[in-house]
Amino acid sequence: MHMRIFKLVLISFFLITSANSNSIYNLIKIPNLEIYELKTPNKLRYFYAAKPFRLGVQKNIVCNNSDQKTYDKKYQIISNNLNRYSKEFLKKINLKYIVMCENLSISGINTAGIPDHVMKTLIIDLKFNEKYFERVIHHELFHIINDGFKKLFNEDEWKKFNEPNFKYAECSTCSKKLGLDTYNKTNGFFTEYSMTIPSEDMAEVYSHLIMGNYKNSDDKILNEKIKFIKDKLRKIDSTFVF
Amino acid sequence: MIKKVKASLHEKLILIFLILLGVFALSFAVIIKNKCLFVKNFDPQKINYSKPENIVVLNAECGNVIIELYPEISPNGVERFKKLINSESYDNVAFHRVIKDKLVQTGDIQFGKKNKIDYGKIGTGKSELGTIKSEIDAEFNFDKGSVGLARSLKYNTEDSQFFIILDDEPLFEGEYTPIGKVIYGIQVLEKIKYSHRSEYVLRPDFVNTVRMFK
Repeated sequence: MHMRIFKLVLISFFLITSANSNSIYNLIKIPNLEIYELKTPNKLRYFYAAKPFRLGVQKNIVCNNSDQKTYDKKYQIISNNLNRYSKEFLKKINLKYIVMCENLSISGINTAGIPDHVMKTLIIDLKFNEKYFERVIHHELFHIINDGFKKLFNEDEWKKFNEPNFKYAECSTCSKKLGLDTYNKTNGFFTEYSMTIPSEDMAEVYSHLIMGNYKNSDDKILNEKIKFIKDKLRKIDSTFVF
Repeated sequence: MIKKVKASLHEKLILIFLILLGVFALSFAVIIKNKCLFVKNFDPQKINYSKPENIVVLNAECGNVIIELYPEISPNGVERFKKLINSESYDNVAFHRVIKDKLVQTGDIQFGKKNKIDYGKIGTGKSELGTIKSEIDAEFNFDKGSVGLARSLKYNTEDSQFFIILDDEPLFEGEYTPIGKVIYGIQVLEKIKYSHRSEYVLRPDFVNTVRMFK
């Protein structure tokens, strides 16, 4: 009897509750977000997870909320890094929304970020690898660029830079080569993770170029890759500066 | 001979109470039934405008909504809007998407017309004039009363549908093409029928007419 009354109360509650009208959800289809900052020089809009969220068709993308102190600290780092991109450039590459959350994963595999060029969104895990946090921001941003200009960043063309006997893995998570430490002796690749798939290799080259943490060397393969990335970026935006 | 029975004070009080109750119930029913009772209906002729050529009068059940268009911000969007107004295309079109205290959306002239409304397709209709490019680069405060052109998930898909926001929506800047702002009569839009369970309204309210003031 009590259960019936409880159900009736519950049903009536749903019937009289207004349709949820969350503007952020309507725009980028990610639930449980709140506005962190809208007034930015390049018009990027920053959101944070107020509660954990799940998304994707299989609901396999998961991220948790963080604490205010972490949001404040990481926002400074993220915005300092992203402020180098102009409003015009961000419009060209279709990036507008930055989502900050913690312990981001896809199907249980932790990831630093999830770029979604269609929804103009980059989700960033605030707790992913403190050591390379800044570089990873640019790495993930490159994926937004790459997704929007697939033809420009031709992977067959890229693969030819490598030694003929070198083969990438089938996918970025198919390999155990996930190290992000920059090699002292590069030999065609900046990091171990570069060897996973061409797009990750490109993103690693791009992020090293942006961070400026590489030295000119006689690594012929890497120099060709660097030239490739620089050339393509200037095709997207002739004013782009590394 | 019939003896006249005099009502006691107690009975008189009950009678007065019942009369008052009846009056109260009747007036309450009238108020409930007439959702437009406290909505001011503005007469567009009695208002002075700095740019009368950019004034639009949208008439709905509760009265007139007076909108000022901004061709300097979105010339193509305003041109399209005026074209559809001048062809009277927006007359009798449903407010098919309504979010209480957030926004009202209308302008599906293909599937939203009163006499041939298509609930399966409403919100997807086109004008046959083709889509136009988004005009989102100019700075614009999407505050309460702002009018924007609706689009699909992609930019440059604006056509005939438009929305009016009933609350400030700063996130809309750079997302939607702003074409104007309601200067009088926003209360008329706050009375548009909405659904508790969905943004899309079954048996919706309709635009009566949309006309250029001049």
